[in-house]
Amino acid sequence: MGIEVKNLVKSFDKKVILDDISFKVDDGKILSIIGFSGSGKSTVLKLISGLLEKDSGEINTSGGDIAMVFQYSALFDSLNVFDNISFALQERKDLRGKYTRAELEKIVAEKLELVGLSGIEDKFPSELSGGMQKRVSFARAIVTEPKIILYDEPTAGLDPISSTLIEDYIVRLKNETNAASIVVTHQMSTINRTADSVLMLYNGHAVFEGSPEDLCREETPYTKQFVNASLEGPMKMN
Amino acid sequence: MKIYYKATYTYKIFRMFQAEFASFVSTLGNIALFGLDFLRGLKSFPTTFREIMAQSSRFGVSSLPITLSIVGMTSIIIAMQIAGEMVKQGAGNYVGMLVAILMVREEGVIMAGFAIISMIGSSLASEIATMKVTEQIDAIRVLKVNPVHYLFTPRIIAGTLMMPLVVVVASVFGVLGGAVASNLASGLTYKAYFDSVWFGLNMHDLNVCILKSLSFGFVITLISCSCGMEAKDGAKGVGIATTKAVVWSFVAIVILDLIFAAMFFY
Repeated sequence: MGIEVKNLVKSFDKKVILDDISFKVDDGKILSIIGFSGSGKSTVLKLISGLLEKDSGEINTSGGDIAMVFQYSALFDSLNVFDNISFALQERKDLRGKYTRAELEKIVAEKLELVGLSGIEDKFPSELSGGMQKRVSFARAIVTEPKIILYDEPTAGLDPISSTLIEDYIVRLKNETNAASIVVTHQMSTINRTADSVLMLYNGHAVFEGSPEDLCREETPYTKQFVNASLEGPMKMN
Repeated sequence: MKIYYKATYTYKIFRMFQAEFASFVSTLGNIALFGLDFLRGLKSFPTTFREIMAQSSRFGVSSLPITLSIVGMTSIIIAMQIAGEMVKQGAGNYVGMLVAILMVREEGVIMAGFAIISMIGSSLASEIATMKVTEQIDAIRVLKVNPVHYLFTPRIIAGTLMMPLVVVVASVFGVLGGAVASNLASGLTYKAYFDSVWFGLNMHDLNVCILKSLSFGFVITLISCSCGMEAKDGAKGVGIATTKAVVWSFVAIVILDLIFAAMFFY
């Protein structure tokens, strides 16, 4: 089932950020949510992950854990990579004490291998590059085998090569975990390389829904403006 | 001429006070809620002995030099001010008692409280506030760990348990400092000073001192952590949260001190 969102509404201080948004993401698929800064993309992720309460509407998920990869990684800077990745396994009420140290080490090593960073367990986040931090945050997110993975601008602030690497890992994680994923992004390369479908938000409304190919092909004023990064069009920056 | 009331200074000042009052009530409510959440979490004891020891070390060892300096200086100043005059008036035998009572009942604990707030309270608030504005707290939530249980528990337990230790060491240091200062300022003998100390102090004073420092430790760490959790809007928010933690902690321990004085010495 993945994620099913129906008629989602969210306001902050009487300003409507999301107005009647609906979409569906099946298991093993990636939806890319795009739009201007402040169009409510990250709010969708925070509502699905439970960090925010919705005003109305429905959010149905297939059960299991929901993982989130934050825009700036949000690694715990006082913990090393091992403790960051195994954090949920060590601190979560239902998992605390369930794993021995050896088991934790094995799980962390597996997850690090999956994101191509074996052997950095003892390093602290400040000793890693932005791209490495992002990949460690991927490893932390998937440690509890989540059924849903949410990515908040995973390639923001990275150079093009690191971005490509991150995009490849997003697809790889989807294939490995069969999780339903949502990627919030501004970058066309991330959309083209990762997304199965695309949802464009503007002023709290969904103004486009379709495949990445449709996004480039369709000549609607919104898609045209976004793809061409044009200042001319229906979408105005506030 | 029509006066638009929203443009008047009276209205603007009223709105400013209204906003400040709303912020006060909101902070008070949040501290209470975080406190309740912390107490609820104690059932499952969501921390480790190692983490409590790490926080205790930060609390005790890091704050001790500054606490000893402040309490020691205060007692020396007090002894210098009163010893000469009291010896002249023939009341030299009461100097030790006066300094000791002042240290154990008031100065030791309140000055240690101020030192701890400046050193540890501000550090706790800024640490948690930074975690909040860099989404680390959100990450803890998404990983299904209660951030109040995870972050507050070791810090509050360490703060509550270490505060009496710091206060006792600081008070002893203060009484010793008073002895040296009295001797230098007025020639009062150490024997006369310490005889007076033992005569003046009793177990009631010590018990209240311990109880008061336990409550100070709890309140300072709870307020500091709670103010940190309220932070928003980047670096500026961290600064605001830290200032708020310090101010609220100062006011809270003075109010608590007043309550203790009224309850046990009035």
